[in-house]
Amino acid sequence: MRPGRPWVYGAAITLLMVVAVGVQVVRGRTYGDTALDDRLLYLRSGTVAAKAALSFDTLLADVYWIRALQHFGNDRLRPNIPGRFELLYPLLDLTTTLDPDFVVAYRFGAIFLSEPDPGGASRPDLAIALLKKGVRTTNRWEYYYDIGFVYYWNLHDYTNAADWFRRGGDLPGAPWWLRTYAAVMLTKGGDRQASRFLWQEVLQRPDTNEWLRNTAQMRLLQLDALDQIDILRRAVSEFQRRTGKLPERWRQLVAAGLLRGEPVDPSGTPYTLNFATGEVNVSGYSPLHPLPTEPR
Amino acid sequence: MRVIRHIAVNVFKESVRDKVLYNLVLFAILLMAASYLLSQLTAGQDIKIIKDLGLAAMQLFGLFMAVFIGIGLVSKEVERRSIYSLLSKPIRRQEFVIGKYVGLVLTLAVNLAIMTVAYYAVLGYMAWMAGSWFKPGWEAPAMDPALLKAVAMIMLQLMVITAVALFFSTFSSPMLSAGLTFGFYIVGHFNADLKHFEAIIDSRPVVYLARALYYLLPNLAPLDVKAQVVHALPVPAAYLLLNTAYAFVYIAALLTASSFIFLRRDFK
Amino acid sequence: MLAIQTTDLSKDFPVGFWRPRPYRALDKLTLEVEQGETFGFLGPNGAGKTTTLKLLMQLLYPTSGRAEILGRPVGDVGVKRRIGYLPESPYFYDYLTAEELLSYFASLVGYGAAERRRRVSALLDEVGIGSERRLQLRKFSKGMLQRVGIAQAILNDPEVVFLDEPMSGLDPLGRREVRNLILSLRDRGCTVFFSSHVLADAEALCSRVAILASGRLIASGKITDIHAFQVRGWELIVAHLSGESLERHRARMRKVTAIADRQYALELPLEPGPDGLLRDLIGEGAHLVSLNPTRESLEDFFIQQVGQQEPR
Repeated sequence: MRPGRPWVYGAAITLLMVVAVGVQVVRGRTYGDTALDDRLLYLRSGTVAAKAALSFDTLLADVYWIRALQHFGNDRLRPNIPGRFELLYPLLDLTTTLDPDFVVAYRFGAIFLSEPDPGGASRPDLAIALLKKGVRTTNRWEYYYDIGFVYYWNLHDYTNAADWFRRGGDLPGAPWWLRTYAAVMLTKGGDRQASRFLWQEVLQRPDTNEWLRNTAQMRLLQLDALDQIDILRRAVSEFQRRTGKLPERWRQLVAAGLLRGEPVDPSGTPYTLNFATGEVNVSGYSPLHPLPTEPR
Repeated sequence: MRVIRHIAVNVFKESVRDKVLYNLVLFAILLMAASYLLSQLTAGQDIKIIKDLGLAAMQLFGLFMAVFIGIGLVSKEVERRSIYSLLSKPIRRQEFVIGKYVGLVLTLAVNLAIMTVAYYAVLGYMAWMAGSWFKPGWEAPAMDPALLKAVAMIMLQLMVITAVALFFSTFSSPMLSAGLTFGFYIVGHFNADLKHFEAIIDSRPVVYLARALYYLLPNLAPLDVKAQVVHALPVPAAYLLLNTAYAFVYIAALLTASSFIFLRRDFK
Repeated sequence: MLAIQTTDLSKDFPVGFWRPRPYRALDKLTLEVEQGETFGFLGPNGAGKTTTLKLLMQLLYPTSGRAEILGRPVGDVGVKRRIGYLPESPYFYDYLTAEELLSYFASLVGYGAAERRRRVSALLDEVGIGSERRLQLRKFSKGMLQRVGIAQAILNDPEVVFLDEPMSGLDPLGRREVRNLILSLRDRGCTVFFSSHVLADAEALCSRVAILASGRLIASGKITDIHAFQVRGWELIVAHLSGESLERHRARMRKVTAIADRQYALELPLEPGPDGLLRDLIGEGAHLVSLNPTRESLEDFFIQQVGQQEPR
């Protein structure tokens, strides 16, 4: 009596649903159940935040990344507060869990974590942990390179550094110079020349961004300062050998003909001379302060 | 076809008059304000965040439009009895349902197109502002045409959701329809968990039931390629094609069911 | 071929949520309307008039029985092309203007753009909508919406028009306009089927009526043929009637009402007719003001009918 034969409509709907299921099966076989990548396992590993974000997880990742940046920036300006940089790793971890492809969060995050006090959290171990998570999820050569660098620069562990550089260099698409790094690590690990080579390399690479470029320039200036400090130390020893006492001011060395003028570091700030010990260093006011721990 | 076209155009006209497109202004303001704020904040990665934010906002705005206009399409006409005079015209009820659907899809498409233009404009501006310093560090160019893939998939999701909203509104109240449609949207994004239920539960029947639901409920998660596109990861054309086929077939099933229910319905 | 034919048309609505029981809104309605007739469908509110019209428009599906329009089953798209329908207190789209609404409906009927413009403009003139036609419908009063509703019902030069309470919500002037409109439709040969709860509307317009109460057809035919509406007596109004002659002839009157000084309204029984009394009164110096047959009003009839219904 009512129009629309139920079995005709029923059959049409059933047919369409069968086709829909078929398409789903084909797609699932070819590409997996979620959008293309293996993030499924990752989300299922108990991250509530990613669930709650529905399909907006990358946006939430951005929010956490911004929070991580703010946290890092704030604490960097306040060297004496308790629990400094405490939240840095958890925030970065959350960011990269929500968006496992967030390359910058791994790479910059690792720098923030590994930088020695007061410039960073002084936690190279966590930096390596974060980068290793990146290796597990998306396996980019950049992460190997960064891990190698943390081993080299912060931990002075040249064997491990060489190992990570080499493994990164073996990945498809990795640049040739990663293998060079590995070789440099193995032959002259703690050499200041090796450092200079590595940082110059960073500076010249086209994919270096502004922040990293500034860092590299600063590192190179610090290396220059270390060279100059070596020369100044030799001058102080020479003065002590000639006069039998330590100099109190740079002017005394100039008067003795050992220096041409009052020495300034590459940033233009005068070096300090400790008249009690004869120790030479960059001034606390210098942008180069503190100098990196000399690799041994 | 003529009848469907006229009904669709009327839906579009009404929603434009109803100031639905105002949301576009909100979208543009949000995007511009966000890009301004973010450019002060982050180290050269603001472009990625703007990309995420823009796509997420498009999806969210579209979702709200699809649900709230979608459920009103039929139920409002029935409630206000404007359908009485409409159905006395020489049209079939199925044509009414499909015309309404096409009209809302048209409205959504125009909306999304305008949002996309605004989106690219902001990205272009950001790229111009950033200068040559940051660009080598970006994963993808600012005005990456691949972003259109994500936009297309958002459109597909909205089309499915609109069909769901229309389906519910042919037999239930607007409030209930809205709730159910949002429910389907959320389920649509968690669907994959249903397929792997055996990992959690030992009961055979429950696992089969979950598996059946996985295939019957709309599966929207695979249509979400925002992250891939923003990170310049490859999204194969065949994958997009499969998604499109899935969405269209699923929509056809929903519209058939909606037409059937609507065809047999009494208007008291 | 009949314009409208229903056979044992019935409709039940389920009442109650938990255990719905059928409530019979329309019970075995059998009705035939000839082409060219103006047919009044009368009954109090809730009698089943709107339900019948919705069944004819296939907005409702019957529980049992059949309905045909122009010899085809209702709901047929070809039939819908040849009919028009005005719903009870019509409502359209808030954001369209009267012009746009009619143009939209015209496009659904299948008219081309030029034809649409011509028809819409002529129709709006005909129902008396002037410059308001460019206004969005949400700014329209109830009476104006009623006019738009009538315009859309006759948009396609229909052969049969169904009007559900076309006079409701209109002021006296509007009622007269609608009345004239229905008459002009009749003159064009159009069958008009309209529902109303006001007998006067039907008396002025209809060739035939059907009366519905509580879902049942209780009478149909020409108004004068329906037993309930046959002449029940006479109402005689006279002036200059002296008290003596009133007293003298009092027994021949059913009821006397004084209207003014020496002016009276006299109710007379049907038999033996007013002639004799009128002659006598005039002979005694009274002046005739008016003489009218009296019928039972539709309201009286309904009250009487509903009183007869067994309680449900």
